[in-house]
Amino acid sequence: MILNSKCILCFIVGVLGVYHVQAQTSVPVEKQTDSLEEVLITATRTQRQLSSLPLPAQIISKETIAQSGSVRLSDILAEQTGLITVPDYGGGEGIQIQGLDSQYILILIDGVPLVGRSAGTLDLYRITVGNIKQIEVVKGASSSLYGSDALGGVINIITESPQKPFQSAINYRGGSLNSHDLSLNTGVKEERLALSLFANRYSSDGYDLDESTSLQTVEPFTNYTAQVKGKYDFSEATSLLLSSRFYAQNQEYKASEILSGESDITEWNGQVLFSQQFTDKITSTLELYGTNYHTESYLQDEEGAENSRSFYDQTLLRPELRTVYALNDKHNFIGGIGYTYESLERTDFSQDPVFKAPYVYVQYDTHLLNNLNIIAGARYDMHNVYRSQLSPKLAARYKVDNSLAFKASVGSGFKAPAFRQLYFDFTNATVGYTVLGYEAVPTAIAEMQARGELANIIVPVSEFDDSLKPETSVNINLGVDYKFSKLLTTSLNLFRNNLNNLIDTRIIATKTNGQSVFSYVNVNESFTQGLEFSYTYNPFKNISFSGGYQLLFAKDKEAVEAFEAGTVYGRTSANASAFVLDKKDYFGLYNRSRHTANFKVFYNLPQYKADVNMRATYRSKYGLSDTNGNGYLDNYDTFVDGYAIVDFAVNKVLYKNITLGAGIDNLLNFTDTQNVTNIPGRLYFAKLNLTL
Amino acid sequence: MNTFKTLAAIALILGFVSCSNDDDATPLLEVETETVANLHAPQSGGQGQPVSGAFTKFDFETGAETTSETDWDVAFRGTTIIVNGGESQGTTDEPERTGDAAVYIADGTMSTVTDVDASLFTQDSASGFAIATGSGNGWYNYTGAPSHLINPIPGKILVFRTTAGLYAKVEIISYYENAPAEPDAFSDATPYYTFNYVYQPNAGVTTF
Repeated sequence: MILNSKCILCFIVGVLGVYHVQAQTSVPVEKQTDSLEEVLITATRTQRQLSSLPLPAQIISKETIAQSGSVRLSDILAEQTGLITVPDYGGGEGIQIQGLDSQYILILIDGVPLVGRSAGTLDLYRITVGNIKQIEVVKGASSSLYGSDALGGVINIITESPQKPFQSAINYRGGSLNSHDLSLNTGVKEERLALSLFANRYSSDGYDLDESTSLQTVEPFTNYTAQVKGKYDFSEATSLLLSSRFYAQNQEYKASEILSGESDITEWNGQVLFSQQFTDKITSTLELYGTNYHTESYLQDEEGAENSRSFYDQTLLRPELRTVYALNDKHNFIGGIGYTYESLERTDFSQDPVFKAPYVYVQYDTHLLNNLNIIAGARYDMHNVYRSQLSPKLAARYKVDNSLAFKASVGSGFKAPAFRQLYFDFTNATVGYTVLGYEAVPTAIAEMQARGELANIIVPVSEFDDSLKPETSVNINLGVDYKFSKLLTTSLNLFRNNLNNLIDTRIIATKTNGQSVFSYVNVNESFTQGLEFSYTYNPFKNISFSGGYQLLFAKDKEAVEAFEAGTVYGRTSANASAFVLDKKDYFGLYNRSRHTANFKVFYNLPQYKADVNMRATYRSKYGLSDTNGNGYLDNYDTFVDGYAIVDFAVNKVLYKNITLGAGIDNLLNFTDTQNVTNIPGRLYFAKLNLTL
Repeated sequence: MNTFKTLAAIALILGFVSCSNDDDATPLLEVETETVANLHAPQSGGQGQPVSGAFTKFDFETGAETTSETDWDVAFRGTTIIVNGGESQGTTDEPERTGDAAVYIADGTMSTVTDVDASLFTQDSASGFAIATGSGNGWYNYTGAPSHLINPIPGKILVFRTTAGLYAKVEIISYYENAPAEPDAFSDATPYYTFNYVYQPNAGVTTF
C-alpha cells in the first residue's frame, strides 16, 4: 500500500486553516529538574509519583526527546540506563531489559499493547516519538497487572493531549541517508472537548554497511503515522475518550540480485475509554481496544514473474472494565476484568488460530505507615490453549528520611506461547529443513511420513499430547534511593529473574534429504541477575550530568551445570585439539553484554536561548553465536567487540516560536558491518520546530 | 594428503605395563598416533537436492585413503561419515558394507577417552547412519548466519571398530582445507577433513 503524502499534508493544512493562528509565547526548553512532579501511570495503573514508587521505573520526558533530536522510539530508548536496543534480522530493532530480550517486554501505547512481532521482536523503529508526552518504563515482571509478555518490563508510550485552547506545531528533521521526518501536531481544548491530531511522515534511503553484497543492510522505506484523539467531558464525573492510530510503511524488499519486490506494513489501533466517577472514591473505566497488524511482501524475478508472496495478519480485541476505589489517602484499590481475543492468519501456518483469554486482576496500594508504601496485586489469566496463570506481585518502599529510601519487590511474569510456536508449518524451499509448531506436529509428521520424507523420528509424536506450557519468571528487585544533596541523587537496584519453561527448538525427526524437522519444547531454565546504578548531578543551575551503569549475568542453568560437571569442551582455535573447559569459561546467554553504561550532559544557555547536549552509551563485548561448536557461549568463542556511541545535539530558539536544531549521531562513526546492523555510520541532521 | 607419524607416550606406558605383567608374551605393537590432513571428500548435490558422488574411503591399518571395495573402515562424503558395517541407506553412489566395522561417539578428549566400550558400537542402518547427520546430531555443528561455519563439536571422539576387529579413536579437527585457525566459510574450501587418530594395532586390546 502506498499512501499519498500530499493528501495527508493538504488535510493537515486544512485543519490548521480552520483555526486562527495564535501566536503564543513558546515554552522555554528546560529540563524538568524537580523529579517530585514526575508522575507515571504504568506501574500501578493509577497516577503515582515516580520518586515514591517501590518499583524500578523511569520516565523519559518530551523535553529530553526534543533536545536529543530523536525521531524513532529506538533512538531514545537506547540512551537509557538498563535499556539495550538489539538488532533483529531484517533491520528491526528490539529491546532488552534486565537481560530479557524483546519477546519478554510488553510495549504499550496509552496503556494498550502493540502487536505485530517478528520472531518475538517488536520493532521499535516502527514507533515515532513525534507526539509523545512521555515514555514510562517499569522494569521487572509486571504480569500481575498486564498478563502475558510482561516479564522483563513494560514500556508505555503516553501520547500528548492538548493542554491549551489551541496549539499546533510542525517539526521537521532532515539529514544523512536522505532521511526526512516531518510531524504535524495540532490540538484544541475547550471546556468539555479536547481534540488532537497528529501526522508523521518518515522516509530514508536506508544504508548499506557491507557493499560487497548486492543487498543493502536496510533498504529504502517510507512510513506514515497518524493519530486522532478526542476526549469529551459530559460532566465532571463522566468522560469519553476516542483514539485511533494508523501506521503504514512501504519498503523495498530484496532477496538477491535477481529477486526483488516490496514489503508493506499497515497497522491500526483503536481505543474507546468511557470513564464514570460514581462517588469521590469510586471511578470505573470501560475500555475497548482493537488493533490489527498486517504485513505483505512479495518477490519477483527480472522478468517480473512472481517468486514468492507472504502475508501476516494479526488482530487483537480487548474489552476491559476496571474500577479504582480510593478509600482515602492511605488505601487505594484497583480491580479489572477483561477478555482478550487474538487471531492470526499468515502464510506457512497449519491453521488460522484464535486465542481467547479472559482475565481478572486486583491490586492494593497502601501507605500503611507514613514512611511505608506497600503494593500487593495479582492477576489470573485463563486461556483456551494453554493452562491458566496466576501472577502475584508484592512491592514495598520504606522511606528512612528525605534522602534515603529502600525498595523491594517480588513478582511473577509469564509469556504465553506465541502463535508460531504452536502452529508454524514451514519448510525452507532452498535448504529443505522443516519447522513445526507444537500443535502442528502430529498432523504434519503423519503427512510427511505418508509422503516418505522422514528418515528417522527422534521424538515420538506422543510427547506432543500435552500442551506447550507458558514461559514463566520470578523477578526480585532490591533497591536503594539516596540523595547526597539537592544536587546529586543516586539510585541502585539489584535484580534477579528466574526463568522457567523457556521455549526452545529441538530436532524431532530427520528427513531423507539429510535435513532436520524442528519443533518447540519447554526445556531451558535460566536466570539473569545484576545491578543497575543511575545518578543525576546538577552542579550548577543550567548544567545537568546524568548517567548509569548495568552489570549483567545472564545464564542458562543447564549450561552452568554442564560446565561445573566438566562435560563441556573447547578449542583454543578452530584447528586445535579439544580440552575440558573450566566453569569460569562459561560466558552466558547470547547477545548479553556484561557491562553497559551511559553518560549524558545537558547544558542550557538561557542568555542565547540555546541548549546543547552530548550523550554517550557503551556496551561491552557480547557473543552472537557459538563459534567453536560446543553449543555454549564460552570464553574461547568469537565475540563482538564492545563499542561506544556518542551523540551530540544543539538547539536554539530563533524567534519566539521557531527553534532550530542540529546534531551528529554516532560522532565516532562506529560501525560493525557483520554484527551490529542497527547502527549506520556517523549521521548529521538539522531540525526545525515551529509552534503556533 | 599428508601423513604425520609421531610416537605416543601412551604406547610407552602400555609397553611398561605389558612387560611387567607378562614377560613371555609376544611384544605388543606400538599404538599409532597420527594426523591426517586434507582428506578431500567432495559430494554433488545437497541443499535440498539429491546427494551423489563417491565416498572417500579410509583404512586405519594402512593409515591411508583407499579405493578398495572391501578393505576400508570409514568413508566420508560432505559432512556424512559412514562405516564399513551394517546396511547401506541406498543413497546414490553409497558403497555396500562388506565388513563388520562399527562406531560410537564418546564424550571427552583424546587423552580422556582411553577405553573402548564395546557395548556402545553401532552400525549404519536403513533408518540412519551410526554417526547421525545434521548439525548437533553427530560430529559437527553448523553455526548458521552470519558465519555459516561447519565446526567439529569439541569433545566428541569417534571410537571405531575396524573391519579387522581392531580399535581406533578419532578427533576431527577441521572441515576446511589446510585447517585454518580462523576458517571462513566463504573463502576456505570444503570438505577437507583433518583429523587426529590413535590406532590400536593389537588384537583384543581395548585401551589406547
